[in-house]
Amino acid sequence: MIRNYILAVLLFTIPLSVRAQNQEALFEKSLLTLNDMLVNENHYSFKKAVFSVENAYLNGKLDTVAANNQINVLTNLCKSLIDGRFLAYVESDKVDVNKWASVYQVMCDSIPIVIKDKEYKYIPFRYDFEDVFGNQELSNMFVSKLLTTRKGNCHSLPYLYKILCEELGTTANLALAPNHIYIKHQNKKNGWYNTELTSGIFPNDAWLMASGFIHVDAIKNGVYMKALNNKESIALVMMDLANAYQKAFPENDGSFLLACAEVSISAYPNFTTALILRAEMHKKIVEAEVDVEKSKVDFKKLEKEYANIHMLGYRYMPEEMYLNWLVSLKTEREKYENKKLTNFNKK
Amino acid sequence: MALFKDWMIRGVSAFILAVSLYSSALYSQVPTPQVPSTNPFPNYSNNGVVNPSNNRNQTPFTPSSFNPDLNRQQQQNRNIMLEVEQNQKLQETAMKEARADIEELRGAVRYALPTYSKFEGTQFYYEAFEKIILLDTTFSLKENNFLVENAFFDNKLDKAEFDKIITQSGDFIRAKMKEQGYDQNSNAAKNFMLFQFFSETLQLKSSNQKHLPFKYDFDDYRGVKNYAKMFVTKLLATKTGQCHSMPLLYLILADEIKAEAYLALSPNHSYIRFPDDKGKWYNIELTNGMLSTDSYISQSGYIKSEALQNKIYMENLTKKEMLSGLLTDLADGYIHKFGHDEFVKTVIDKALELSPNSIRANMIKANLDSARMDFVLRQIGNRPIEKYPQAIDMIEKVKSQYSFIDQLGYEDMPEEAYQEWLQSMNKENQKQKNEELTKQLKKALSNKKSTIKG
Repeated sequence: MIRNYILAVLLFTIPLSVRAQNQEALFEKSLLTLNDMLVNENHYSFKKAVFSVENAYLNGKLDTVAANNQINVLTNLCKSLIDGRFLAYVESDKVDVNKWASVYQVMCDSIPIVIKDKEYKYIPFRYDFEDVFGNQELSNMFVSKLLTTRKGNCHSLPYLYKILCEELGTTANLALAPNHIYIKHQNKKNGWYNTELTSGIFPNDAWLMASGFIHVDAIKNGVYMKALNNKESIALVMMDLANAYQKAFPENDGSFLLACAEVSISAYPNFTTALILRAEMHKKIVEAEVDVEKSKVDFKKLEKEYANIHMLGYRYMPEEMYLNWLVSLKTEREKYENKKLTNFNKK
Repeated sequence: MALFKDWMIRGVSAFILAVSLYSSALYSQVPTPQVPSTNPFPNYSNNGVVNPSNNRNQTPFTPSSFNPDLNRQQQQNRNIMLEVEQNQKLQETAMKEARADIEELRGAVRYALPTYSKFEGTQFYYEAFEKIILLDTTFSLKENNFLVENAFFDNKLDKAEFDKIITQSGDFIRAKMKEQGYDQNSNAAKNFMLFQFFSETLQLKSSNQKHLPFKYDFDDYRGVKNYAKMFVTKLLATKTGQCHSMPLLYLILADEIKAEAYLALSPNHSYIRFPDDKGKWYNIELTNGMLSTDSYISQSGYIKSEALQNKIYMENLTKKEMLSGLLTDLADGYIHKFGHDEFVKTVIDKALELSPNSIRANMIKANLDSARMDFVLRQIGNRPIEKYPQAIDMIEKVKSQYSFIDQLGYEDMPEEAYQEWLQSMNKENQKQKNEELTKQLKKALSNKKSTIKG
């Protein structure tokens, strides 16, 4: 198996400095954990995958017990919501729909809670407009950060949503847009629909298509707007791991990143983030090549890689434009809201 | 199930070609589909069924008076009684069997829809189907589409007249291209000229021949009142058409002048795609004579990403898929004129074989399957359905057919939303896009011209 081969090579070749040794080991452990989930479906746990990455970046300082406790609290809140209300939805998949609706409410709605005859108000999670890409501090993207600050972004919010769904024994599909992650569900009544946690709206596909940064080919090829399965979701987490590694070890030789990219691509072949990372790593190798002939051949291969990424429909979306687009959902809500869904999801 | 009755791409107005050649009453005499009055429960009389009350009299009974021996007589009596008892038992079993037979005869459910083949006009559809399937080796859109439309009019359309119009139009377009000094082999030039043929008034300087543009016909554009509103022959006769007939005529003329162009689908809609000589693709929206962008189409609000992933919209249709589309038209016309029967199944199975993901063909199949299911369930009535595994199987198949359509990413686009979307093209930003694209295309043409001259 090529995947295991890559990992084996990786483990023996990375030179470990004494200072970073522990953290390196954590990253490798995380990579093995994720890889194991891809090879053995029974070992899959999105929560475990996400926390293994965050723990590696935080150098083992992630308080897993506290994080798990908070997730349990939220899961119980969901369960009490499911028990205590009537959902105006009658199709045969109503058990799942009810679970999704409860997670949505816990993420996006304020809920009155009565404890010992006193009414408290549950405050939902909010969107954090600061450092939405984790450029200043990567941990701003983390689910653990979201749990403690109750503010998150298009990375941590959908991740937590998926984790809560899985805790409740149902599923949730992540879906990609340029620089963005959102949720897709399919129910019997409405077919596929989108859940946008950053604004708490159910936008139709036209909103995403109107971003102007999604080429039709990218949709056709499943680069964007595809309901990702669990393996493909692990591929996403794998890229988070690579990103965290790069932040933790800016001077690394690239072999860990390349391994992450390879495994990620094997699970999700049209995943452009991984394809781009792999191409960039190959580019470094080509540039370092001393043999002129080999360099020429490799350069041709590299060109093909980039051409393939373009052909899949990937286009670069500048960060400033991303925020404008995200806000457009609120300003042009009328135009992009899927009105069929608001009825039964709101209590 | 009228659920999907109004999804179709359909069009508008009166059929003047037919009017000029035949009586105008022609299309108004389309027979209204009627369910044939066959009684699903055959009237079975008592023939052959054992009547227990008659049988009882036939029980053999021997009088005992002339038997001297009492014991023997008693013995005999006992025997007789035993015999009677046995006979009664036999009768009961016979009765039971008879009842079961009656049940079974009543339960003889027919699982195929009754045929409309006795109706006048159906034979034209059967012939057209044979011709399209068996005789077509070249795949001619022009010929096959004519077969479909002609079948609707009981083969009374004038083929020679139709051919003449197409040839003349092709000649006109070629002549105009020459006059404009366009490269006769440039695909961009051919398509640009075709596009102008549809959207502008053109005049040939040499012969003073004048051609007026085709217009969008808003009235009954789905062909609900008058099915022929969606026909190319109607478009030619009235110079007005809709999103079914206009792209088809475009492609027929494209074949005529050997231009490369394709049909592409979007919800309730079809449009034209063609490549220029450098491989850049353009979309033509014929209903309002503009060049449109992919984003205009994808933002209609009714295209789901799954639909694009399954390649049901915004893709060039292959020849196979075009043929599948024509067969779907044929089936659709037949349903409109007569109704659902197993001929529709034959046609639509072929259409699906050619294009398994075709939304329209899959919907016709869903409607047909539901019609058949209704027919079967009406026969079964209030008897327990568990006894009819074939009917249960049918219900399951209908369900899975509908969920297959959902899986493809289909979403119904309401009529108002469709009209609104079509109108939105006349808004400022789309107009601007159209101008930009036209400029680009013209530039591509003038480059070509200068290189030819140079």
